[in-house]
Amino acid sequence: MTAIQAERRAAASGNDAWLTRRRWARAGWLYVFMLVMSFFFLGPFLMGLLSSMKDNPNEYPPKVIIPQLTAQYVSRAYNLGIQGGNSGWNGGLTPGRQVTFDVSVRSPADAPQDAPAVSLFPYQPVSLVAIARQAQAKDYAKLNTVQVSQSGDTKVYRTTVAYPSLTAQTGEVIRAKLTTPDSDVKAQLPSGEIVKVTLDTPAAQEKQYELSESQKVELVKAGGNYYLRGPLFERTPMQVDVQRGQSIVDSTLPPSDKQNFDRSFAFRNVTPGILGYTFNNYRRAFNETMDPKSGRSLFFSWVLNSFLYAFLRVASAVLFCSLAGYALARFEFPGKNLIFLGAVLFVQMVPTQVNLVSNYVLLKDLHLLNLWGLWFNGLVAAGGVFLMKQFFEGMPKELEESASIDGAGPFTTFWQVMLPQAGPALIALAITQFQGAWNDFFWPLVLLRQNTDFTLTVGLSSFSQLYGGQGDYGLILAGAILSAIPVIIVFIIFQRYFVDTGSDSAVKG
Amino acid sequence: MTVTNPTAKRPKAARSKQSQTTTTALLFLAPFLITTLIFFFYAFARAIYYSFTDFNLFNTPKLIGIKPYVDVLADPSFRRALANSLIFAIVTTTLQTVFSLLMAVALNNKIRGMAFFRSAWYMPSITSSVVITLIFLWLFQRRGIANYLITQWQAYQPLILTFLGVLLVVQIVQVLWERSRRLPASWIDPALAAVSALIALVVVFVLNSTGVVGVREVAPYDVQYFADRWISIGGVRVLSIPLLVIIIQNTFTTVPTLMLFFLAGLQSIPGSLYEAADIDGATPFQKLMNVTVPMLRPVTFYVVTVGLIGTMQMFDQVAVIGSAAPQDTLITLAFYVYTNTFKNGAAPVNMASAAAIILALIILSMVFVQRKFFVAPEAN
Repeated sequence: MTAIQAERRAAASGNDAWLTRRRWARAGWLYVFMLVMSFFFLGPFLMGLLSSMKDNPNEYPPKVIIPQLTAQYVSRAYNLGIQGGNSGWNGGLTPGRQVTFDVSVRSPADAPQDAPAVSLFPYQPVSLVAIARQAQAKDYAKLNTVQVSQSGDTKVYRTTVAYPSLTAQTGEVIRAKLTTPDSDVKAQLPSGEIVKVTLDTPAAQEKQYELSESQKVELVKAGGNYYLRGPLFERTPMQVDVQRGQSIVDSTLPPSDKQNFDRSFAFRNVTPGILGYTFNNYRRAFNETMDPKSGRSLFFSWVLNSFLYAFLRVASAVLFCSLAGYALARFEFPGKNLIFLGAVLFVQMVPTQVNLVSNYVLLKDLHLLNLWGLWFNGLVAAGGVFLMKQFFEGMPKELEESASIDGAGPFTTFWQVMLPQAGPALIALAITQFQGAWNDFFWPLVLLRQNTDFTLTVGLSSFSQLYGGQGDYGLILAGAILSAIPVIIVFIIFQRYFVDTGSDSAVKG
Repeated sequence: MTVTNPTAKRPKAARSKQSQTTTTALLFLAPFLITTLIFFFYAFARAIYYSFTDFNLFNTPKLIGIKPYVDVLADPSFRRALANSLIFAIVTTTLQTVFSLLMAVALNNKIRGMAFFRSAWYMPSITSSVVITLIFLWLFQRRGIANYLITQWQAYQPLILTFLGVLLVVQIVQVLWERSRRLPASWIDPALAAVSALIALVVVFVLNSTGVVGVREVAPYDVQYFADRWISIGGVRVLSIPLLVIIIQNTFTTVPTLMLFFLAGLQSIPGSLYEAADIDGATPFQKLMNVTVPMLRPVTFYVVTVGLIGTMQMFDQVAVIGSAAPQDTLITLAFYVYTNTFKNGAAPVNMASAAAIILALIILSMVFVQRKFFVAPEAN
């Protein structure tokens, strides 16, 4: 408050311009400070968001401008997706299509002048669910590399990845999933019907025993028979090697990984599409936790579980916390103070770990080690009761008095008169409960024993146990960002209530 | 006697109305009371009971007296957990309270766009501890962003120090000059500081392009944070580096929320108090210590209480980091209770219960001591 002092003295000397200048400068510094702090508080999230899109989130030094967010490369990824899978978003490689990918190699005069060695390599994900070995693009597609142009000592090579169809039949093309094979290869159509798959070429018959259950394939329906066109590939990983002395100066997409003194470039996927390029880790979070048999993604189940749990918690809190809070605020009865002190205040001070053993054993005996048990365990939050009690105490009594003159019973009064008035408090309660349930970690970790039952927080921590050791942070960061999104959306919509309730209860103590 | 007769009837009616109210109230409270009784009081009682038995989840519990408590106190990993929890709670609560108070004081301004900044800063507080811990695990890798920023700081140190030095000198010169013109410029006059910063920027730019000072070549800063490294005082391991990272993380996530509490408190302080202090010629620091801090006592009480209760129970971060750091460096009381309850085979659940009871006693006595020695806020 030297400001006031100084301003007073300055005003006394009648120096208005000096004062104005000073006030502007002060506001300027304040904005600078606030920007720096915003950067500090948002930085980790923004950096995490950015890095979750990188090929390698651990790259050092970390880059801020990345090809995954550069218009030029995103549009190339889109084009490659169309070439390979007829889908600019999903990409992939489907039978009968071909993709061209350019690589520029600089070969100085004293270096070998050979064309680069181009090959496809396999990709098999590590996952929390048992995934059968999927067919690999390298076993089906053929590569052909030719030189297309030259400027100075830099030659441009064009590699064509061609994936010929395994059948010559034409007709309606259907996507299907292979089922458990018996003497024949069988596939389940999108309609649910299981049909026999005809392998009508030597090339197709050769692959008969390599295709495993739940492999996605493309079939062609002709004359009542289903002919195998070939498996579908989400990824086409490609590798380019050059000789010592040569160097790769440019390529259609930047490499995901460079090795062997930058003479060996690996491209994670040359048919990515936009989802496979920019949002690859997000897609992986869903796809690589997919149980091939049920077709359900583990990550997706976690999201659903989290939503269900949050919804149940909010519903029960809105109903029961307001009932209890109202009773504590408005009724006079023996033991009221004891209930308030014991069940509302004391409960909030005792650490939850005290109840760990008993509640675990109890719910286990009731066979409730699942989402429902988790819900019962936190059915009525003491903090919520406190919030609603404070709120109802602040409301005028006249409302109820007139209702009781009209002959309404206490429950009718509560339900039809008081609860509709409690909108803001209920929203605040719902938000805190949603946030609490969505971010809850301890009890879900204790009570949920099967990975299909997990909520997002527990699932994410199991993600980090599996992928953290390998340093695969792309997947972990993508999962973390995805799980933060719902709370952020709720926050943006209801932020007024977030900030208000927090400070209110603090001042009230 | 005849006179009391009609009045004797009234208490009876009142009593029946009273009992009706009690029934209604209990009905309203039923869901809350029943779940609290089962999942809290029954559980609490059972935890106390188990802590005096030989229970291991599979046998029939048999009372064995205070042996579990003796075992727990003799367990080196319990002692480490106790030390870690206490240090974590005290350091984190102190840091978050001080930083949030200072930030609130700095931000107690009504300026345009304040709402936007407040929302932005709230972000760390609304996301789950699991998400933030995962992001921090990634930031604090050996070749992570944190180490990269430290490397950059070291590399740009000459430029930054030159900038600050020039800024300081120019500011002093300017203030002295203004004062010689009898203008009441303070040492941190914002307008002059802006000019000083501009001049310092130009000077650094010129010095850099002429090659007088420049960016240093430094080796990448390469500290492994999640390792068995400790800050020791007198040969006693006080604070482990992984725990320090969690302290930073927890402070980072809680400061914005607590700052909003303090801001709300600050705005309820009457301006007349500051004016009175101005008249008495108080310095800004004196005003902070003698007006702001005492007036914020209720909020501070709340913030410290909530902070202590929360930090003593710290669990999520330890569980998420899991095997990424040596267990001794991070184990807390809550995590000790959890691991002992779910140990493979016959779990020492009695010891876990005893540890949980000890944790509860510590927290309750902390709250009690605080209520006793710091003025508690008037209940609403």
